[in-house]
Amino acid sequence: MAATAERALPPAFAVSIRTGMSLPGELALVALTVLALAFLVYPTAWVILASFRTPETMFAADRFELTLDNYRALLATGFTRNILNSLYLCLAAVLVSTFVSVLAAYTFSRLRFPGKRWIFGSVLLGQCFPWIILVTPLFILMARLGLLNNHLAMIFVYVAVTIPFSVYLLVGYLESVPRQLDEAAIIDGCSRFQVIWRIVFPIMTPGIVATATYAFMLCWTEYLFALAFLTREELKTMPLGLYAFFGENVTEWGHVMAASALTTFPTLVLFLPLRTRLAAGLAAGSVKQ
Amino acid sequence: MASPDFRRVLFNTIVWLTLVGVGVRIVLGLGLALLLNSKVVAKYRLVTVSRVLLLVPWATPPIVAIVAWRWLLHPQLGAINPALQALGLIDQPIAFLAERAWVWPAILTIVTWNTLPLVTLTFLAALQSLPQEQLEAAEVDGAGHLHKLRWVVLPHLEPAIIVMTLLSTFWTFNNFVYVWLTTAGGPGLYTNVMATDVYIKAFIDGRLGYSSAIGVVMAALMTAFGLVYLRVVAQRELEEAFDGGDR
Repeated sequence: MAATAERALPPAFAVSIRTGMSLPGELALVALTVLALAFLVYPTAWVILASFRTPETMFAADRFELTLDNYRALLATGFTRNILNSLYLCLAAVLVSTFVSVLAAYTFSRLRFPGKRWIFGSVLLGQCFPWIILVTPLFILMARLGLLNNHLAMIFVYVAVTIPFSVYLLVGYLESVPRQLDEAAIIDGCSRFQVIWRIVFPIMTPGIVATATYAFMLCWTEYLFALAFLTREELKTMPLGLYAFFGENVTEWGHVMAASALTTFPTLVLFLPLRTRLAAGLAAGSVKQ
Repeated sequence: MASPDFRRVLFNTIVWLTLVGVGVRIVLGLGLALLLNSKVVAKYRLVTVSRVLLLVPWATPPIVAIVAWRWLLHPQLGAINPALQALGLIDQPIAFLAERAWVWPAILTIVTWNTLPLVTLTFLAALQSLPQEQLEAAEVDGAGHLHKLRWVVLPHLEPAIIVMTLLSTFWTFNNFVYVWLTTAGGPGLYTNVMATDVYIKAFIDGRLGYSSAIGVVMAALMTAFGLVYLRVVAQRELEEAFDGGDR
């Protein structure tokens, strides 16, 4: 089948790659690819586009008016507060979580100590647990400590939930840093912390940035803990603010779209540089070499 | 705990959300990966653009994905109902997120859309390392497309499929926002799953004990799954396996 179908190709197409298919077959596959990609891109593209359309014409197929009014109206509602809260919580949590994770990852990767397998295993297993079952115990704990409606408590929670995954990712990156480097530094009289700070950290920077970025996005879009622990308006984060625009009866679509777009821009921008790194990590993890 | 309500919740979580949800994702992810890896896509120079566009749903936060689909599926404002009406498939607009017949397929569409890129990218990465000699050898032996897929491609992808199935199971089983922010477990309690039930029982009904009991069942199920995962990962020496988080 492969050999006979080739002849059907017009010369212009036959130069590059032999697909072993007839032209209609090829075009059908191309059409399928384009359809699949359209399905994947359409919802996000539409939300971003809608955020720039006037609320009156937002859902109209025939009229198309561009405006920044949605953003102006959104920022007038106090959503700025939500944005600042989210930024503060996420940045603080990511800084602490990445710092702890780098130290932990170094320990797991380089040091030998009794029970290492079990401790690392439980870090991995930590990711299997649903966040939702942490909510009630943490709620009671926070209530007893008087830390409900407190940003410090949220930072604590976000640090806790991002550590397992950050450690896991960083251990993977550390395995690619040659051990001889830090052994040589130790022989030259460096302490462990100097090794981490002077040798490992600079080499690992791309990996650390990738890990921190992913942790940031995790916090940036986190909804559940914020919902349970933050009830005072002035403390709420962006995801809570966004869903507050879905009212019982009326939905402020203009606000919803602008808020959605503002939530998505950072993740889109952060994601593109990350993709090769993440894809490489995926490949290393799931392909049997 | 043995009430009909809880059996409904268990069924929703295990069968609908996890079994159907993960199954659809793996099958579609595999199909999409094979499609994007095909020679046709390379020939028409769609490789780079498809890889970038594939990232869009993944880079879209679930909370925004839900907003987009709540609009798309909206009976009056959404784009899907008018399209179906124009095609003559339906007469009346369907409230996809409110009608029992449609609500699960609708939720799973959102979950699948949001999570498909990760699965597809993993399979694509695995496909890159497929030894060409094996394919050529199979061709020499006269194997057709289906034979090659069954005996060469799928065995090569098996480790990736297993890891992705396990990871998707954790992420989906444990997920709270997809159901909570689309239907909040409704209509009635028709789409209530364990994750939302824990929240409803604790924070709305104030039954902390019952809520904790559900939590323990969830934890037990996931620990069992987690041990399988650790075994598989350890056995295959995949310690650096990438592991992202769903929310």
